[in-house]
Amino acid sequence: MGTIRFEGREVSFAAGDTIASALFRDGVRTFSRSLKYHRRRGLYCGTGDCPNCLLTVDGTPAVHACQAPCADGMEVGRPHGWPSTEHDLLHVTDSLHRLMPVGFYYKTFITPRFAWETAEKVIRRATGLGPLPSTTAAERSVVRHVRTDLLVVGAGAAGLEAARNAAAGGTRVLVCDESPIGAAIAPGDALDRVRVIEAEVRAMPEVTVLDGHTALGVYEGLEVPLVADGELVRVHPGRVVVATGAAEIHPVFPGNDLPGVWLGRGAARMAGVHGVRPGEVAVVVAGTEEGLAHLETLRASGVRIAAVAVPAALAGRVPEGSGEVVVDGIVHDARGGKVLSSVVLRRGTQGKRFDCDVLVLSLSLAPRDGLARMALPGEAVELVGDAAGPDATPPIGHGGTVCLCEDVSLHDLQQAWDEGYRNAEILKRYTTTTMGPCQGAMCGRALTCFARERTGGTSPAAAGGSAFAAAARTTARPPARPVTLESLAAAVHELIDKRTSLHDVHLAAGARVDRSGGWIRPLTYGDWREEYRAVRERVSVMDVGTLGKFTIAGADAATLVDRMFPCRTDDLRAGRTRYVLSLDEAGYVMDDGLLCALGDGTFYLTSTSGGAVRTDARLRDLADRMSLDVHVLDRTAQWGAINVAGPHARDLLERLSDDPLDATTVPYPGFADVRVAGVPCRAVRTGFVGELAFELHHPRSSGPALWSALARAGTPWDLLPHGLDALELLRLEKGHVYLGQDTMPDDTPAKLGMSWAVSIDKGWFVGKRALERLGELPVTRKLVGLEFDAVPADVADVRGAPLLVGGAMVGRVTSAERSSALDRAIGRGWVRASEARFPSALEVAGHAGARARVVPTPFYDPGGERIRG
Amino acid sequence: MAIEIPCAFCGPRPFTEFRFGGELRSLDAPDPEADFARVFLPENPAGPQQERWFHVLGCRTWSTVTRDTRTNEVG
Repeated sequence: MGTIRFEGREVSFAAGDTIASALFRDGVRTFSRSLKYHRRRGLYCGTGDCPNCLLTVDGTPAVHACQAPCADGMEVGRPHGWPSTEHDLLHVTDSLHRLMPVGFYYKTFITPRFAWETAEKVIRRATGLGPLPSTTAAERSVVRHVRTDLLVVGAGAAGLEAARNAAAGGTRVLVCDESPIGAAIAPGDALDRVRVIEAEVRAMPEVTVLDGHTALGVYEGLEVPLVADGELVRVHPGRVVVATGAAEIHPVFPGNDLPGVWLGRGAARMAGVHGVRPGEVAVVVAGTEEGLAHLETLRASGVRIAAVAVPAALAGRVPEGSGEVVVDGIVHDARGGKVLSSVVLRRGTQGKRFDCDVLVLSLSLAPRDGLARMALPGEAVELVGDAAGPDATPPIGHGGTVCLCEDVSLHDLQQAWDEGYRNAEILKRYTTTTMGPCQGAMCGRALTCFARERTGGTSPAAAGGSAFAAAARTTARPPARPVTLESLAAAVHELIDKRTSLHDVHLAAGARVDRSGGWIRPLTYGDWREEYRAVRERVSVMDVGTLGKFTIAGADAATLVDRMFPCRTDDLRAGRTRYVLSLDEAGYVMDDGLLCALGDGTFYLTSTSGGAVRTDARLRDLADRMSLDVHVLDRTAQWGAINVAGPHARDLLERLSDDPLDATTVPYPGFADVRVAGVPCRAVRTGFVGELAFELHHPRSSGPALWSALARAGTPWDLLPHGLDALELLRLEKGHVYLGQDTMPDDTPAKLGMSWAVSIDKGWFVGKRALERLGELPVTRKLVGLEFDAVPADVADVRGAPLLVGGAMVGRVTSAERSSALDRAIGRGWVRASEARFPSALEVAGHAGARARVVPTPFYDPGGERIRG
Repeated sequence: MAIEIPCAFCGPRPFTEFRFGGELRSLDAPDPEADFARVFLPENPAGPQQERWFHVLGCRTWSTVTRDTRTNEVG
């Protein structure tokens, strides 16, 4: 029908083939190597439960080959082993397993510490399920949310019946299954039954069928995410029916992981569905009627049966010609090299060896109840069908592999037990049993069974509550099936980089941009020192449309701003602006900004770019809790802002505006509504860069026109735009604090040296009580201005450096740059008081000979004459 | 998780649209000592709690919601 590419050669496949069946037909027997000992692993469960057939398909690792259908041209590979899965030299570890006991990593690589760096690389290469794809998927998985009354997980007979019955009563039902319906069932009565119900269910308008959708887990509030090729469906069901059926139990005996050892359904599917004989000669262990059916399927496909082990009750039902019947026989051990060669069946103390290349194990069914066990108490999640069946106890022999994924042997479990790990949960954590891709589907019950045998905790009455609890099944958690990072990422809200209306203008001007406070902002347009000089000596523009911008209106607007900010606001006259700190209830500085009084009881407020969302939330919270009649309008996205700064800022604006902009009409700190180049602007005088500056707040869509008008009119002064790099030095020379860079989460105004921004005597405001309380305590650390001596030429290198006095750390540098105006290295940093005295001379750690002196700020134009200009 | 928060303006919406505002507490306390307790010593009950939720990815309204901290049941 087609071909897939397997390790460089073509392998043809037939209709209905999975990757596993196509490869098996082609003669592949070793599908993977075990994690630690590199033992050969062949097809085993055939139901997507065990890890043995996890292959890399088209670059995606850990695909269940027994479930994935073949598609023409598919690239399939085995990631395990070195140099190859077939010839794996690392198999030597199997004979050295005494050197690699359980807890090997913890025990072996404690000292010397540096050895781990190398060892980890070696171990990473030797283990794992293959490398992750180095490129991201071309398209993100699509997420959709679906609400339904009932979600049925598993579209076998039980699940389809549950769906049909519920839908008949008018309930909206969603049915999901990880495979196409009926794909794993051999042609016959069972498949016919499923096909009949399937046809009925598909015809019901209340029912939606999503096959090829794998349920990942059951989450709180009842949400079940389903992953499929290219989409993630988040289902919000009223209730959930788990009809995931049962898996045949995984018995533990020496050799139980050899290629050629199969669980019954895997072997029967290979023979019955795909028409490939699992081998030539088989030993069958059948504990149930289903096991006898598998025996029939194998015989029909032409496999010779060497022996059958059955319980006494089924002894009479074994058909003639099935070799030797061993009543009540169990598997003692299995032996082989590349594949199984013989099996010893034991009854009591009597054993007999049978030569065979297939061992089919169909002992009993263990309910796949993992999804239901993830639900919280009281949540509407129920089990039906085989998933609701009685629990099963896998037989544990005298050796063998318990956990196929993590390669944990019975010997390892016993050793962990002897080391004192005497509880199923901590045995799990120490040995990593149940923690691999199958998430305990195979080994979970064997682990519990082991703990139960050792504690004697078969029931609460027999062994006391604690022993019973020690042997309880380990907690079930999502994900129930391997899931790609791509699918998980699809469920995460993507961080959106905000852009101002001038973004394209910046890019066209060659700006280097980066993320800052949730926005994409220009760092520099080329030479930031030149941009700095334009601000200090001539005139410059900067896009500050990222600032938080709010209109606060309504009858109680004045009350809100008065309660919100620690400074007086009641004396703020129309047309005037005030710098405001915003505190939280603990008195810590959260944000800062400018408050403009419009004169009609309405206010205009700006906040930092990164603090806009929080400022909005805090204003609304306070207004709501005080039941104020206030409207907070977030203008951040509607309005842009351009800061026009420099000694010639007014000269420039006067060329573009007929409105008066003199220091009487638009004083510092104040604002006026004016037209600039025909654009209505609120011109706010600011002092952040330390020069004469007008922030022009304007309708966002007018931004590019205003920007280019300013640029054109600025040519007589060689106007340059400036970015964040220049701003860093401009504000530092003025001693201004960058909230977040210079500050810590628990800074009071006093620690920042900004007590001038607090009127503690005014009426109640947010944080007032806390400041009163803290005012009684001495300030033991504070933010200071620093001047550096003998620091590296690139002063920025000392940002973050510890500050020392006599070798003891007393602080840290938060900002540092070489000041062009002062021709000195300056900065800001934290210092701690010792015996109520703050140090004034400090060493800068990590830079030999470098020193810092505590100096007053601002560094530049301390009187602020240039701002008022 | 699929908890729904009853927004005062929009009705029940997925909690992922909200910002959690912590437990509801009074705006002020009579003296600095009581204020310290108000700010730093939340009740943190194992059971129903009055708490604030901000519909940040929606109408930007604050709601006071009673949620059982043991079961996430919103009443």
